[in-house]
Amino acid sequence: MAIDDPQREPRAGAGRAPDVMRPGGWVPMREYREDEAVDFAIVGTGAGGGTLACKLAEAGFSVVAFDAGPYWRPLEDFASDECEQQKLYWTDDRIVDGDHPLKMGANNSGRSVGGSTVHFAMVSLRFRPEHFRTRSTLGYGVDWPIDWREMWRYYDEVERTLHISGPVRYPWGPDRGRYPLRAHPLNAAAEYLARGAEALGIDWTETPIATLSAPVGRSHPCVYRGFCVTGCSTNAKQSVLVTWLPRALKAGAEIRDLAMVGRVETKNGRCTGVHYHREGAWRFQKARNVVVAGYAIETPRLLLNSANQEFPEGLANSSGLVGKNLMTQLNQAAWGQVDDEVRSYKGPPSLAISEHWNYTDAGKDYHGGWSYMSQGPLPQVWAKSLAGGRGLWGQALIDEMARNNHSVGLKMVGEVLPYERNRVTLADETDQYGLRIPRITFSMGPNEQAMIDHAVDFMDRSLEATGARERWKEMDDTAHLNGTARMGDDPATSVVDADCRSWDIPNLWICDGSVFPTVGGVNPSLTIQAIACRTGDRIAEMSRKGEL
Amino acid sequence: MADDGGDDLAVRLVAGGATMLALSTLADSGMEHYRGSFRNPAMVLPLASSSMAIAFNGRRLARPRPGERTGPLVSHLTSTATGLIGLGFHFYNVTKRPGGLGFTNLFYGAPAGAPFALTMAGLFGSVADRLARGKRRLGPMHVTSGRAIGALTSFGLIGTVAEAALLHFRGAYHNPAMWFPVILPPAAAASMARDVIDDTPRAVTTALLGATAAMGLIGAGFHAYGVSRNMGGWKNWRQNFLVGPPVPAPPAFTGIAIAGLGALLLMKRRQAK
Repeated sequence: MAIDDPQREPRAGAGRAPDVMRPGGWVPMREYREDEAVDFAIVGTGAGGGTLACKLAEAGFSVVAFDAGPYWRPLEDFASDECEQQKLYWTDDRIVDGDHPLKMGANNSGRSVGGSTVHFAMVSLRFRPEHFRTRSTLGYGVDWPIDWREMWRYYDEVERTLHISGPVRYPWGPDRGRYPLRAHPLNAAAEYLARGAEALGIDWTETPIATLSAPVGRSHPCVYRGFCVTGCSTNAKQSVLVTWLPRALKAGAEIRDLAMVGRVETKNGRCTGVHYHREGAWRFQKARNVVVAGYAIETPRLLLNSANQEFPEGLANSSGLVGKNLMTQLNQAAWGQVDDEVRSYKGPPSLAISEHWNYTDAGKDYHGGWSYMSQGPLPQVWAKSLAGGRGLWGQALIDEMARNNHSVGLKMVGEVLPYERNRVTLADETDQYGLRIPRITFSMGPNEQAMIDHAVDFMDRSLEATGARERWKEMDDTAHLNGTARMGDDPATSVVDADCRSWDIPNLWICDGSVFPTVGGVNPSLTIQAIACRTGDRIAEMSRKGEL
Repeated sequence: MADDGGDDLAVRLVAGGATMLALSTLADSGMEHYRGSFRNPAMVLPLASSSMAIAFNGRRLARPRPGERTGPLVSHLTSTATGLIGLGFHFYNVTKRPGGLGFTNLFYGAPAGAPFALTMAGLFGSVADRLARGKRRLGPMHVTSGRAIGALTSFGLIGTVAEAALLHFRGAYHNPAMWFPVILPPAAAASMARDVIDDTPRAVTTALLGATAAMGLIGAGFHAYGVSRNMGGWKNWRQNFLVGPPVPAPPAFTGIAIAGLGALLLMKRRQAK
């Protein structure tokens, strides 16, 4: 019997795609010819591309969405095993350099239909309104070309789609509608955050999170299995794979898995389609519009790799900014040891949060905001933290691992400022497809160092207030990626406009975290999906007006 | 009056309601306190007192006027007291959690509804006991008129509705049927209250109480369906039965509604004279 291996053989095709809600199941899928131009060829099916594929297909456009990764059926493909689930990360060769080279993998990339949302931690937060205009209102960074009130409406749409479980009243920022589902019970790790915050006199709340607290459709409520930052095998996790993509298929979109797009073709200043590698051969899909949604590394890489005689510096790059202003987020942590049995790996890791220092600017010697959340590392991740972050090895590491059930920690998500020097360029080496691999250059500045110092010290004091002993600080960690194709009002200082449309090529769009001008102090996935929703609506509107 | 057959039926209805409440409490607290590993030894108390309540009220249901006095008295006092003490314990459990008396702790902390149901079982049991023994009063409560029992019914329904409303809000009213227990019983409670105030038993109240009683049993079925919607469904019953929604909880409505029918019957009998 042939083994069904979605990493070797594409699953989508022959008029059907995997049904993510049933083991071995299928759903019908429309297929498009390669030699007839589809309305939209979308490169990437994650938070940006997958969401946009749904919106565009539901608006009546013909859509083919490509993803380099496999098409998983969560109920049968995700074993409760950290090693096994390494398959969800993008681990192709990259070169990392700079003063603080980024660690690539679990924290910041995914290679699956559904993108990184298949293994994201589900934390679904809205930007602070001021963070869409940091230059004008707070005097640092750069303004977004979109007003926060418009984003607020799209946040609503995404939160409804993902059935976010959140607190009844959110303590920070302007009013928001009630979250669709109620918050999950706190685990012990979250209770330590809550007690510490109360002791230090700041607000905390239950984290708005994209895992179900009540049954929805064929999805069960969360069973607090704890394999949240890997693949969720219960489908309580509301990833793009199980939310937007089934809708996209139903609306007539085609999804091509194991399809690596290597080059966007242009002619007379317009895109004509994409070259992609699937089932051992390079192929070409004609398209009237191309959307690049490969996230902050693969998006600039594809645009730069698509350089041709018309666009020798790469596509959409007249500003010279493609690949520049790469941002990550600070992910430092404070840890300690307590008498209680915490077992912090139970349930979603980040069930409690404080955005106090995201919304409070007084008392800071740096720009930007940060939030912090409770943590629940699985054993392998914990061992890596202890070995890499604390320098334990041998018997000392074994002894510390044995006390895992009593460890408790808090982790920040902090804003990194955009610097042109932090960038993605092309290395001379090539990958298995013969494409030049990305070189990722990243260095922190004094602002980031000052934020880390303040944040880690504060989290440490919070743990101290709960009675945690033997505290230590994990100083070397980052998460999430953004920037490298920023949106803006001025073609000279941005790559795309507010509609994610390239200034240079009118039928080329970029729709993912690359377009973020700044990253804010919260996890980016909700904002990426909100931008994708807005882009979908804007494209439909432009189409009605004949402006495409 | 003491030998009146109609009053025997009223005694049966009130005692039957108390029995149903005690059954609901026994199953619910048994399940939930097992889930809590009986960490506090006091967690066995509601099991013991609800079992006793089932025995004495059940006997009264079968034979409304047995001679014994002490046993039922001890049982009903124990039920009422255990319920009230339980309410205190459950309130403390909620407030000691980080965040105090907030929604999440009310959702996931110890529920107020279960000890409340046990208190109601104790009160209805005492009422049935007094009626059966031909006594007119239970403390300040005039039992034979039916009005006091009717008021107790309205109070009990509203308390139970509050619990259902809170926990169905916790479930985000994801199934439209979850609105039933927050719409129908309040209507029954209001209609009952009006009858009590007017001292006029109405047919519509009987209908609403009957519907509420049926809803409580149907609700158990809905909750069983809810259990099936957890990961693994009934195949994984040992976990999912504890995860909920609690199958034994909705029949508490049935118990209170049945006792309310007893109150209506008393009011009707008295007016017919």
